[in-house]
Amino acid sequence: MAVPMNAPARPVRRVTARHFVRLKLRVMGNNFRGQGWRVALFLVGSLIGLWFAVGAFFGLAAPGLAGDDRYALLIAAFAGGLTVLGWLLLPLVFFGVDETLDPARFALLPLSRRTLVTGLFAAALVSVPTVAMLLALSGLVVTAGIFGGWSAAVVAAIGVVFGLLLCVAAARAVTSAFASMLRSRRVRDLAAVLLAVAAALLGPLQIAGLAAIQDANWDRLTGLATVIGWTPFGAAWTAGIDMAQGRVWAAPLKLLITAVTIVALLIWWSRSLESAMVGAASSGPARARPELTSGVVAQLFPRAAGWLRRDRFGALVAREARYWWRDARRRANLITIAVVGLFVPVMVNLGGQGFTIDSEQGFTSAGSSSPVLVSLSMLFVGLLAAVTLANQFGFDGSAYAANVVAGVPGRLELHARMAAFSLYVLPMLAVVAVVIALVLGEPAWIGFMVGTLLATYGAGLAVNSFVSVLGAYSLPETSNPFAMNSGAGVVKGLLTLVAMLATAAIGVPMVVAAALLGDAWLWLGLPLGAAYGVGAALLGAYLAGDVLDRRLPELLAMVTPRR
Amino acid sequence: MTGEHPALTLRGLAKSFDGKIAVAGVDLDVPAGSFYGLLGPNGAGKTTTLSMAVGLLRPDAGSAWVLGSDVWADPVTAKQLLGVMPDGVRLFDRLSGGELLAYHGLLRGMDPTVVDQRAAELLDVLALADAGRTLVVDYSAGMKKKIGLACALLHGPRLLVLDEPFEAVDPVSAALIRDILQRYVAGGGTVVFSSHVMEVVQRLCSHVAILAEGTIKRVGTLEEVRGDRSLEDVFVEVVGGRTATGEELAWLSR
Repeated sequence: MAVPMNAPARPVRRVTARHFVRLKLRVMGNNFRGQGWRVALFLVGSLIGLWFAVGAFFGLAAPGLAGDDRYALLIAAFAGGLTVLGWLLLPLVFFGVDETLDPARFALLPLSRRTLVTGLFAAALVSVPTVAMLLALSGLVVTAGIFGGWSAAVVAAIGVVFGLLLCVAAARAVTSAFASMLRSRRVRDLAAVLLAVAAALLGPLQIAGLAAIQDANWDRLTGLATVIGWTPFGAAWTAGIDMAQGRVWAAPLKLLITAVTIVALLIWWSRSLESAMVGAASSGPARARPELTSGVVAQLFPRAAGWLRRDRFGALVAREARYWWRDARRRANLITIAVVGLFVPVMVNLGGQGFTIDSEQGFTSAGSSSPVLVSLSMLFVGLLAAVTLANQFGFDGSAYAANVVAGVPGRLELHARMAAFSLYVLPMLAVVAVVIALVLGEPAWIGFMVGTLLATYGAGLAVNSFVSVLGAYSLPETSNPFAMNSGAGVVKGLLTLVAMLATAAIGVPMVVAAALLGDAWLWLGLPLGAAYGVGAALLGAYLAGDVLDRRLPELLAMVTPRR
Repeated sequence: MTGEHPALTLRGLAKSFDGKIAVAGVDLDVPAGSFYGLLGPNGAGKTTTLSMAVGLLRPDAGSAWVLGSDVWADPVTAKQLLGVMPDGVRLFDRLSGGELLAYHGLLRGMDPTVVDQRAAELLDVLALADAGRTLVVDYSAGMKKKIGLACALLHGPRLLVLDEPFEAVDPVSAALIRDILQRYVAGGGTVVFSSHVMEVVQRLCSHVAILAEGTIKRVGTLEEVRGDRSLEDVFVEVVGGRTATGEELAWLSR
């Protein structure tokens, strides 16, 4: 048995992707152990995913089932393309990626980069969304099979699998690249701009799509679908249809396009993975600027919060305000609000306007956008901004212990967190209202737009105070701002949904008022909305503060990552 | 005040996680003005006990008093008298050292000018002033311990509860921390700290408790617990476990 010590360094068995998959399943299983509610939430999330998947399956299989092969290519190209786009952008904007297997944990193991990337990739494929996607997109196989028989069905199946691999690879590569950009202080502003551009792309795309549908010009749409079918966005999905429609030569080419793209994405991912593994501990080079001429209290308070009193409330606000900027995870959220808050209303209001590319009058703004539609989009922006606080204590993690030890009263805590977040959000909301009003050419609407924003934002603060106190969950202590624990993904989604629905319900009176009150609302909207929002926020903090006072240690335990 | 109540009293503190007992009923009296060492092997329940004693973790049973104030029934009074440095808990580390001190000071309701003055002194003494505006997240492990200690000391608590204050600290910083703590006790304060470094405990403490498997195994003044042996001998005897390897691990030596 006595083997020399320097001999057994050579691995006897090769590490393969199988090990990573099993490791991920084991970690997921252990996360569930002894936590019944987590299992329940996971099941609920899976059922919702299944429900959507079945719906999408029949949608995609519809051309085949209806026997109308005119739409087969259209649906495959557009639905597939949107799917890839969604996997590309949604993790950045809303959901984050499941980082059950944190790359940094593998830094010390003797694994080649190739082994690591393929392993992590395989592990990433094991998740509820991918299974649901696979089920949904199998609808394409049905369509291809009905039109082209077995050979087309087989090609379509290969295409769907390839497409799914492409989606996952794209999501991983993009989030990983953005994470390493946001980590470095030098280029993080560039990352913000890139994200903004990416989100902005959605706008013109939607407008073009609506215009095309309104024209009902099927030839043009089919042409567009053919083009998309030759890009990585649509290649995998349309291969089966090509086969069925007799373009046999196209199928292998399209699969090749997809395969090359997947490999390229994986190489890109492995690049940024390296920086995630090495630079995980530090958040960038230390800025040692010894300037201690002023006192430490003056240092704590950012200039924007300089008017605050130097007391407990002031300290809490100042610390939170600093954190919203310095913590990459929180900053990513702020950027999201700014980008989505600006572009979604533009899309909604211009899109609903019959704004077409070949319209005779060109760009006209006095269209069909109404106070109700504008109010609805403002409602969305307000609740989107506030829902960022749904896990506000989770951002702190175990550092929240400092506030528990100091015995900060619950109401003070919640008031301060609302105030600090509002330092960033209120200016943003003002910009949103002004820009949208000017784009629509209705400056008189600014008043009730701001009022609606304030009302929903205030209502959202109140709702999310409760959600954050009762439904907090821990975030992993990694440097990837998009990372979250497995299981937390479902929890996060459901809590966010509940918080948004509740906020919307409380904010709806503003929309109703816009519909009923007519011109009077132009003047009443601002004061009433502001009062409504401030009142809701204060009431929420008053009630949730009591709950918080009784649950300090429990909340700390919920947000402390398990090790 | 010192004559009336012990600095810290624990009665029947118990906690289990997922059915696994971490602390099984701990009773402890820490006399005011003592330098109290809580010894125990890894996983003995030291951190759990101290967390329950200072209000960070709700016990399944039992209670804790700080200078006569119930930590769980009257947390506001008790927490004012307490300074805590938890272990394995992050600081608000996206702040610089100075900002962190200012935050803790104001959070304790201190006067801003006093915060400025004390923070400057603490940063100076702990050799953290050179770090300037470096964020605490970029500090070394030893510097993090020191800034954590400074945060716990800033408001001048009557009782200081420190979890593993000497872990990951270099000898120079350790000597500095020892000196600060000794001055604090000489000035009438009480220190409770956990450790598994016998040498430090033997040098500093007036009282010792040995915790193993969630219960107190030995308690008393250092002399009472130690007798005429070394503290390490007593500790190993109480805790049990093997201290030497046998036939296994033969592959370690060729």
